[in-house]
Amino acid sequence: MISDPERWLGVALLALVLAGCGAKQVVVKGQFPAPVMNELPLTLGVWYDEEFAQHEFFDEAAGRAESSWLVKSGQAQVELWDTLLNGMFRKVVHMDARPAPGQMNPVVDAVLVPSVEELQYAIPAHTSVKVYEIWMRYRLQLLTLNGEPIAEWTMPAYGKTPTAFMQSDEGAVNLAAVVALRDAGAHFASSFTRVPEVEQWLAQLPRRRRAQ
Amino acid sequence: MAGTAAPAAQGTVMTLRACLLRIACCCVPPLLGGCVNATVDHMVFNSPVDGIGDASVIILGRRHASDYETEPDFIRCVGNHIAARDKSIRIVDEFEFINAMYPWFEPRTAPLQPADLERLLEHAPVAEKLAAMDPEYLIWIDGSTVRTDSAGSMTCGIGPGGAGCFGFGTWSNDATYEAAIWNFGQRAEVGRINATAIGQSYMPAVVLPIPIIAPVQGTACDSIGDQLLEFLSQHY
Repeated sequence: MISDPERWLGVALLALVLAGCGAKQVVVKGQFPAPVMNELPLTLGVWYDEEFAQHEFFDEAAGRAESSWLVKSGQAQVELWDTLLNGMFRKVVHMDARPAPGQMNPVVDAVLVPSVEELQYAIPAHTSVKVYEIWMRYRLQLLTLNGEPIAEWTMPAYGKTPTAFMQSDEGAVNLAAVVALRDAGAHFASSFTRVPEVEQWLAQLPRRRRAQ
Repeated sequence: MAGTAAPAAQGTVMTLRACLLRIACCCVPPLLGGCVNATVDHMVFNSPVDGIGDASVIILGRRHASDYETEPDFIRCVGNHIAARDKSIRIVDEFEFINAMYPWFEPRTAPLQPADLERLLEHAPVAEKLAAMDPEYLIWIDGSTVRTDSAGSMTCGIGPGGAGCFGFGTWSNDATYEAAIWNFGQRAEVGRINATAIGQSYMPAVVLPIPIIAPVQGTACDSIGDQLLEFLSQHY
């Protein structure tokens, strides 16, 4: 006959074993401060497509000893880019649809469409180095209201955190993702006006419009 | 006979020595703690001012290397060391500062040379925030503490009579840090401090493991903190 404590112990052990088999899930959450910089005198539209706003990546375990990973970064991406763009530009407008001829869009100087082109990560189980790393490559498109390209470029972002600071793999992956997103923000803020096509476009904008 | 007796007697002496050594290994480290050797070098380019008055000090860790990061704990330790010895010195919290100045002190964008501060101050909001903080010095600390080697073995077991461990482990830690001191007003590096500390830690286990940790990082922190006080405090 199995007594109650033994039954509960059995259930707890079973739960632990099953938990070990499941995927590790991380919903990225972090702090994204507003950028401290001179605002560009532009009204910028921004369009986050479904894939970007719900961005996540899944890595299936290669063997029994490893765990699968599901990292949901979409909410954090939107939070970062909203905070960043609102600090960089005089006004930011969320578009209802991707710019295209005939779309009923509010009047903006240009529309930015960010997307995550590639993402890779490494945890100590993958490498011999005790560092959690996330590497991302963004594709950024600056479009007119009619959807014509003004500029298109890629931008890398990188984040890592040593194991020493964190208590769990999930926490460390979250922190590495936050560092990578902050790096993306820093890269964009410091390089946007230096992208040759953007620089050219800014120079061609009517002085009156930029001074408004 | 003498030829056979001598080695036996020598063997007895060696056994006694070995026993004494073992006793010393087991007993001395708990009394002393792990051993740490520390070395500090410093270069002063401009003489320290006589205290920093009402100004503040910003201490940041360098994090742009690919293979290591200066530990936030270490930066906090140096700040606490300075603040505890001279309560008039105002240390700005590292992450509060980095967030307040985002994105200009991220690993990608942080100034690598004092002259780069001019570029930052071209942004009026950055200049305003820095003026409000009134920093006298910006101190960059670069380095890390790593485990260099380990030896020994330990076995732990559990049985009907209880649980326990038996064995002996030892490992070394190596801390190497360098602090570059920038004077905000002069936009120049005014000094540089190097601190290294090497220590051996032990873990004897007879039933219970007893860690005897060499405070390698703490020693490096104290060494750098004491040297920085010469720049920052009028009492040192």
